[in-house]
Amino acid sequence: MKVAAAVLAAIVIVVIVAGTLVRSYTRAAFANEQRATGARALAYDALQYQLDEETAVRGYAATHNDAFLDPYAAATSALPATLRALRDAAAALKLPVAADAASDAAATNSAWLQDVVQPLLARRTDALPIEKRGKDLVDHYRADMRTVQDAVSARKQALDEATETAIDRLNGFVLLVAIAIVALGIAFGVQQTRLANDLAAKEREAAQLAAAYETEKRLAETLQDAFVQRPLPVLPAVSFSATYVPATEEAKVGGDWYDALELGRDRVMFVIGDVAGHGLEAAVAMNRARQALVTAAIVDPDPARLLARVNRELLHQRVRMVTAVCGYADARTFEFTYATAGHPPPVLVEPGRPPRMLHVGGLPLAVVDDPEYVTHTVQSVPGAMLVLYTDGAVEHSRDVLAGEETLLAAIRSASDARAGNPAAAIHSTIFDQHAVGDDVAIMTVAFVSGAHAGGEGDAAIVAAGARGAPDGVRGTIVSLGDAVSRLRERAARRRGRLAS
Amino acid sequence: MSEQSSYRVISLRGELDISRKAEIGAALQIAGPGPAVLVDLSDVQYADSTIIAEMLRFREDARRCGRRLAVLIGDPRFRRVLQYAGLESAFALFEDRGAALTYLSAAETT
Repeated sequence: MKVAAAVLAAIVIVVIVAGTLVRSYTRAAFANEQRATGARALAYDALQYQLDEETAVRGYAATHNDAFLDPYAAATSALPATLRALRDAAAALKLPVAADAASDAAATNSAWLQDVVQPLLARRTDALPIEKRGKDLVDHYRADMRTVQDAVSARKQALDEATETAIDRLNGFVLLVAIAIVALGIAFGVQQTRLANDLAAKEREAAQLAAAYETEKRLAETLQDAFVQRPLPVLPAVSFSATYVPATEEAKVGGDWYDALELGRDRVMFVIGDVAGHGLEAAVAMNRARQALVTAAIVDPDPARLLARVNRELLHQRVRMVTAVCGYADARTFEFTYATAGHPPPVLVEPGRPPRMLHVGGLPLAVVDDPEYVTHTVQSVPGAMLVLYTDGAVEHSRDVLAGEETLLAAIRSASDARAGNPAAAIHSTIFDQHAVGDDVAIMTVAFVSGAHAGGEGDAAIVAAGARGAPDGVRGTIVSLGDAVSRLRERAARRRGRLAS
Repeated sequence: MSEQSSYRVISLRGELDISRKAEIGAALQIAGPGPAVLVDLSDVQYADSTIIAEMLRFREDARRCGRRLAVLIGDPRFRRVLQYAGLESAFALFEDRGAALTYLSAAETT
């Protein structure tokens, strides 16, 4: 609307200025023409007065009738003023030739009156030379008048043409203004239409952006959920530690997880898993698998049946292949029961014995209809620690057998050193400043020595030990939060590009 | 039917990981019932979970079509990977080519 008002104001100003200019120009042209017309009339009068003088003088000379002298007197009294007016008009018309001619005519007439008319009126006898002189002076006078008339006529013609041109210009200008107004009107209409369209498009775009933003936000939140590992339970009889380090490459986010669920004072369910691949789809599959496993663990205490149940659910949801180990640790019986689905074997460390790899078997989840899972039961001892991990912990060199050796050595040293956070200690021993090419999650579940005999006092110590565990986890969460921030920033940049 | 034409060989080598997913997915694609297949992985040392998933899908397809599969492996590291993945019991694994072929031809006559 502002633009339209400005355009309208500009048109009005242009029309007023142009109209004023044309008017003043036209008025000047008309004034000059009036002057020219007046000059012509004066020239005509001057010729007429001179003719009256001559006619009167010749009539008197022939008849000596005084009646002839009346027109002579009238003409003689009027002629000098007429010639002055003619001279002034010629000067006003910027016709110096005509002005000079008018002055010259006045002088000629004076000479004629003196040299010709006076002797004739005095009835002098030397008529022939006077007649000769009179003819010369009258011819001269008439020549002057012709000069004046020619000049004024030429000027008048020029003025007529100029006026015509001015009128043409005026017409042209009026036409142009009319065209401009029509064109501006059309342009304004088109602009209004386009603005309306643009507005509609912008609104659509904004709606799309809002929808895209919502989607991205939801995805980012899903990722955030995927990254943030749940806090591990703090129990008097069972202690946990865990670490999760995502792949160094930013694109490889999500995929690995661990969970531990308190099922009473002495019993916990534990699970570690890995979704094939990386990225958002893997994170979504991971969240579903994780949810399904924890939910199933509440209703079914048998790990093999639990995995079979979860497999059906994940197949139904058509998520990616998932590998997992899930099981229970019972601090009253010091028993681990577990089942595996395409996952690397858990490692058991018992006091005074080298760590050993447990049996594995079942197929990964979410791939085949009826996989067979087997529940393994391991009778263990107080102080025993079960180490669960994802394939990144043994497959980093792509030599699984060498990877196993490294892992077992790292577990042994962490166990011997009684590390406060065994999972973090194992990870740092294995990777020792190497870049990690794959996600790695490690979780330990241990029966606390003498927890049952010790009661509350020991429980406090255990809780302190267990509280040490989330440190590594928390550090990880911070870096994962950064990853999500980066994802969000990228999304924002995309939106920025879209909007510009 | 001769023994040569009674089975098909799919051969993959090296490290099988996500970067070769398209290639391996295409190789493990057999339309229709077709003959028995010998999957020769005797020069494979490693397969990541993406490829394990491809292999399991291939096994499911074959099972639906009633097609016999024999998998030839050579590297103990790879055997361990398959063991982790639970594939040791899901596939007929052989370290000897002759034994694998005998298995396939025996399967055909039954």
